[in-house]
Amino acid sequence: MKSLVYFAILLLIIPVQAVLLEPLSLGGIKPDLALALLYIIGLLTGPWEAALAGMAIGLVQDIGSASFIGFSGLTRGLIGLSAGLLGRRVLDLTSPSNSIFLAGVSLLEGIVIAFFLQMFYGSVPFFSLMAGRILPQALYTGVLGAMLLRLLGSKSVMSALMRRTVQREL
Amino acid sequence: MKFTAIIAIAPTRALATSSNGVNGKRLKRMPGFIAKHRKSLSILFLFILLFWLVTLQVKNGRLTFMEKPVLAISGFFERIMSWPFNTVASIGKGYILLVGTQQENQRLRSENERLQLENGVMNELLHENERLRDALDFKRTYPPSAVVAQVIGKQSSPVSSTVTLNKGSDHGIRKDMAVITAQGVVGKVQAVLPGTAKVLLLTDPGSTIAVRVMRNREEGLLEGKLVNCSLKYISYYVDIQEGDVLVTSGLDGIYPKGLAVASVVKVSKHEANAFQTVVAEPAVGLSRLEEALVLTK
Repeated sequence: MKSLVYFAILLLIIPVQAVLLEPLSLGGIKPDLALALLYIIGLLTGPWEAALAGMAIGLVQDIGSASFIGFSGLTRGLIGLSAGLLGRRVLDLTSPSNSIFLAGVSLLEGIVIAFFLQMFYGSVPFFSLMAGRILPQALYTGVLGAMLLRLLGSKSVMSALMRRTVQREL
Repeated sequence: MKFTAIIAIAPTRALATSSNGVNGKRLKRMPGFIAKHRKSLSILFLFILLFWLVTLQVKNGRLTFMEKPVLAISGFFERIMSWPFNTVASIGKGYILLVGTQQENQRLRSENERLQLENGVMNELLHENERLRDALDFKRTYPPSAVVAQVIGKQSSPVSSTVTLNKGSDHGIRKDMAVITAQGVVGKVQAVLPGTAKVLLLTDPGSTIAVRVMRNREEGLLEGKLVNCSLKYISYYVDIQEGDVLVTSGLDGIYPKGLAVASVVKVSKHEANAFQTVVAEPAVGLSRLEEALVLTK
């Protein structure tokens, strides 16, 4: 079941991000669904599994876009790892602090990307990149992640998940 | 079979015999350490591998490994997912937004008359230009042919800017063809399959376009910077101003000459630098892109 979920995520992450999130775009800024999902995977599983999931999702995104293959794999693997480590401390899925952590993680990734671009392409407009893309996307991703976590943490979803687990065990 | 068993046992024996000294103790502990931290070590190994892969590409250019299968799968799902959106949009455009059609029709009619008049003048100039070119024995230029394609997906990878089109190699689209709109340049085709194509936008950090300042014909290279573009190699002494329009110079062999690309929004120069820092905004609103023309010739 778990491998099927991961397979579905890897298969659908690019089209969902590219098409279904487009109506949510505000001035060309869309929330980063892959990052929010990865954060949730980190909270629910653990650092190693989330790191592997992050690498896989990042690699698929790298291949599907025009960036260097492995770059997002590297950053998203690190995000998965840190989300997994954070998951050991953050127990409540519906906690509002998750939204702040997620926005912080997104912001950190954006800054790493800006430094990477500066290193390899030179003269990156850091402040306009920060104000025009990195910061709004981080905030938007934080909100989306909080909504997803609230959905996951809601009693109906949890009870449905529990029911399925019990049925499987029976 | 026996032979392989001996080979497999041999290192263990060697380890056991050398386990007397200080080095031996360390060696004896190693398999235990590896077994204990197997997960951490494999993750670390994968991180190192990915880092190595990135540095390799920085040196030798981007790998196109698995690009076509991923484009085929994502393009397939993007076509399916975008279908309801396009249908709703077309219904919206067709029926709901009929309010104000009469006024718009009148406006378009008058605009059409004006454009027809302009077109007549342009045709005259074109013929005159062709006659003069023939007289001077210049190379004849032909108007490019184009395929209209719909944007079905906008990738927002943190490090790049690409879009997916609903037409591909079956419509004559090939890699490195220019993609434009009526407003100007959008980018170029990066990968293509039957029924779908991936376009590298001009704001992508990997995009470079040979441009010319329309006002004074100064040449430079326009590079993508994710949120906007940067004009490179503009000497300190060159006169460039905010609002200057940049057009393709045709020197890169991808974009035809004279297409609008961007306009200059910020110029800064410092005596210590030989080149000016020029920031430019794309002529096309890339976040609102719905359709594009792929220049097939």
